This record gives sequence, structure tokens and C-alpha cells, in this order.
Amino acid sequence: MSEPGRSGPVRCAHAPPQDPGEQDPWAAVPRQRQDTAADRAIPATATAEQLTLLVVADDPGDALTVERTLAAAGTRARIRRARNLTEVERLFTDDVHCILLDLDLPAGQELQTLRQVLLMAPRTAVLGVTSEADTGRGAEAVRVGAQDYLMRAELGGTWLSRAIRYAVERKRADISQRQLAESRLRTQENARLERGLLPNPLLQGSGLHFASRYRPGRSRALLGGDFYDAVRSPDGTVHAMIGDVCGHGPDEAALGVELRIAWRALTFAGLSGAALLRTLEQVLVAERPDDEIFATLCAVDIAPDGTRADLYLAGHPVPLVTCGAGRPEPLPHEEGGPALGLLPGGNWPRQDIVLGDRWSLLLYTDGLIEGRIGEGSQRLGQEGLTELIAARLESGLTGQDLLDAALTEVERLNGGGLTDDVAAVLLDRPGPAAAGTHP
Amino acid sequence: MDLSLSTRTVGDRTIVDVGGEIDVYTAPKLREQLVELVNDGSYHLVVDMEGVDFLDSTGLGVLVGGLKRVRAHEGSLRLVCNQERILKIFRITGLTKVFPIHTSVEEAVAATD
Repeated sequence: MSEPGRSGPVRCAHAPPQDPGEQDPWAAVPRQRQDTAADRAIPATATAEQLTLLVVADDPGDALTVERTLAAAGTRARIRRARNLTEVERLFTDDVHCILLDLDLPAGQELQTLRQVLLMAPRTAVLGVTSEADTGRGAEAVRVGAQDYLMRAELGGTWLSRAIRYAVERKRADISQRQLAESRLRTQENARLERGLLPNPLLQGSGLHFASRYRPGRSRALLGGDFYDAVRSPDGTVHAMIGDVCGHGPDEAALGVELRIAWRALTFAGLSGAALLRTLEQVLVAERPDDEIFATLCAVDIAPDGTRADLYLAGHPVPLVTCGAGRPEPLPHEEGGPALGLLPGGNWPRQDIVLGDRWSLLLYTDGLIEGRIGEGSQRLGQEGLTELIAARLESGLTGQDLLDAALTEVERLNGGGLTDDVAAVLLDRPGPAAAGTHP
Repeated sequence: MDLSLSTRTVGDRTIVDVGGEIDVYTAPKLREQLVELVNDGSYHLVVDMEGVDFLDSTGLGVLVGGLKRVRAHEGSLRLVCNQERILKIFRITGLTKVFPIHTSVEEAVAATD
């Protein structure tokens, strides 16, 4: 503490006279004149609540001045005094509204001190206090992150309490703006991943209708690792795929994007079936962030004439098929191969599927059948999903409408959003007669 | 619903009794348990799944991770499971070829293959 009697550079005696005719109290603070009327709309709650201030100065004079000025203006304030950073560390708590920091320190030190204070109190308004001769230092402080600066003479002014409240509100606005920017970035990140995971199918000329639905699980803000794709190769074969990287989070989502792109590239390069899956597994093993991670995948290669297909399963639930006017049922499936990344040297046998002229094929990830039904641990399961789809087909739903209605019902049965991601792809062949009317 | 875990020793095998639901929320707890056992030198594990009501792909990943950990020490990880809906998940994912699956703890403890 400074010895009694020591006088600081400028004291309250130098405070500007309180001119009763001064209509605009902000006029004394040049920087604040630039602010808009909206900025000045300080909420009534902020004016009513008691202020807690931390005055950081080697000399006790500043704090005394502030206390006296605020009391004279009828502003209720609790004032703490800190002489150095160690004391700031001890005295700063989250309920401090504003820190007034003496910037009259030896050259080079003042901004260093300010930076330290900003680090300690990232969510609190900071006002720099400078001597009149040194407004450059104040401006510098604002550049570094202080909300504003005051000349020492201004500490005794009538508008001090408003200057403080103004700084507090400005800090609040800064923080909400930053939060807004962060949430916007997160949304962009999701959109980027979503574009990567969920592409536009390339099916021109196939005569097939494509519909898809993706919903991220509620367990996280970011997407999980479900992915799908569908492309038509030059010979007319339609290759469709859906997959799921086990685990949840941005790493898995990124891996899902890699696997989808790899699948598309390998397909365009003429690979399919077990050879493609083997290569895809190599990609997965090389790229996965953790040994635990594996991926399940279901691939369907539909012959150019559209009436039959090859099915490959890598640890993935079998698709549902509806042929003609029949009921949906799981595709006949004897034995698939293991999920990718589980076993070295896995094999994925081809299953020949006869589809007929008119059919609808639903590929999905396990999130769709793992939803709860009722209070207990019962889950929808494949049988439950089959019933659910059958009921919606009977009521005449197809394509995107069918997927939307099915997902809504699965969520309703679950009693809200599903834990896991859900992806579903519906491929329809309307039949030779109808195909021409739907390019 | 939560996950319950308890361990006991039978001969040179450590039995992990698992109950409840293994999903994205509870799987980390199982992972922690398996890692702890391996770190403490238990390399022959039997995971009893008879009390498990639900298992998702994150849970499967944890079991696969556990298997990789014990194998690094020439160990084993055996499962006990008779529930059709859990067995179906192991069959679909191809994990029946990865894990020895037994009908009882006694059978798993006695197994040497």
C-alpha cells in the first residue's frame, strides 16, 4: 500500500465541474459519441443491480475517487482494490462487473498487465485509466481488448457510473456475438460434414427413384459416422451403399466422409464387391484414429436391366425389399462378411437377389431399428421396422414421404430424438410402364 | 437405464458380469473396466453378457478394443451369451468369428481352444 500523503498524478480535485446545463453526459467521452442509439439502450435490470468493481492501481486514490463519485451519483457499488496482479488473482471473482485498470505503468508493462488481466477475466468488462497526457496508451488498451479507457480526471465525472455500465453492456454484447459466431461455425462445420457424408446421387438415366433421410443422434452436436452414396457406372449398373462407422463424434464423421469418397472413387475405377470392400478396409485401417473403430457397410449393385442385384454385407443389417404389391421383407440373406476393420483377410460373399419389374429397396443404418418402444429395454428391431414400413406402404406413401413418415414414427415410439444417428436410403423402381413418366 | 459391472476371479480367468444397456453413454464405463483389468495383469477375461439388455455398435467397439488389448498379452476374451437378440448383433457384424461365445461361465472358464 502507498504511504499516506503520497499524491497521485491527478485527483478528484481535477474532476470536470458538474455542469447542470450539460444535456449529454456522454459528450465528455469522445469515443462513446460514435455509438449508436441502440447501443445506449442499457437494460433497466443492469441499472438497478448493484455494481461490483475491482480497481487495480498501485495508489489507493483511484479507488477512493471512484467510490466517492459513484456514491454521489446514487450508484450502489461494492469496490475491491488490488495493487498488483497477485491481488487481482485473489480478489477477482465471477461477480465482478467491471475492472478499472491503471495504465500508468512503466512503458511496456502496462499492456502486459492488461493482457494478464484479460486472461484472468475473459468475460468481464475492463476499463483502462490513463493520465491525460497519454491518450495513445488508452487507445492501445482498447486495441488489446479493454472495453474503453478513461482519463484519470474523468473518474470524478457524473457520467462515471454510466461509463462503467456502458462498458459492462458492451462486454456482454461482445460475448453474445462471439457465442453467436461460434454456433454459426459449428453449424457450418456440420453442413460441411453433412455434404461430405450425404452426397447427391449420380443416377441419371437409371430410371430409379432415389430418396434419402439423415438425422444426427441427440447425443452430440456434431454428426456421427453414418454415410451413404449411389452412383451409376457407364455400363448402366447402379451401385448403392450405406455404412456406419461405429462410435460417435467428429472423428467418426470424418472417417465416414473418407470411406464414402473412397467407395465412390473405387466404384468409378471399376471395382465392386469383395475386391472393393477389401480395399475400403485398407483405407479404414490406415485412417482410423483408434483400433477399436470398425465400420459396417451394405452395398447393392443393381443390374442395368433393373430386375436383379448383387448384395454384399459387411456386418450391416440387411435391407428391406418390397416387390410388386407385396409386403416388405428383409432381403434373403444367408451369411454376410464381417464389418470392416475387424478381421484381417475377411471375405464378403456375393448374394444374388431377384427383384423383378417393380420394387422398392430400403437401406438403413442400425439407428433406425435400435429406437425404444415403450418404457422397458424393448427395441423396435427389424421385425418392428418391417411392420412399420408395411403400414405406411398400405396407406399409399412412397419415396421421400415414406422415409419421412417412417422416421417420424420411429422417433415417436422412442419418445423423442434417437440416441444414434439414422440414415436411410430408398431406391424405387416404378416398373417398366411408369418408368418413362419419371425421368 | 444404466450399466452394472462387477468382476470376480475363477482360477486364472477374470469374470466380468455386465448388466443393463451398453450404448454410447455407458460404453466408456465398460472400456475403463477392461483397460483397468489388462493394466492390472488380467489377460484372460470372460465377459458374461447374460444380464445385458441392449448392445449398440459403440459397445461392440469396446469389446473389440478389449480383445485387441488382451491379445497383445497372449490373452483371451470370451463371451457368455444365450440371448438371441444379442447373439444376432454378433452374427450380423461378423463378431461370432472374432469372439468365442459360450453358453455358460463354467463352459467359458473350462475352454482352452
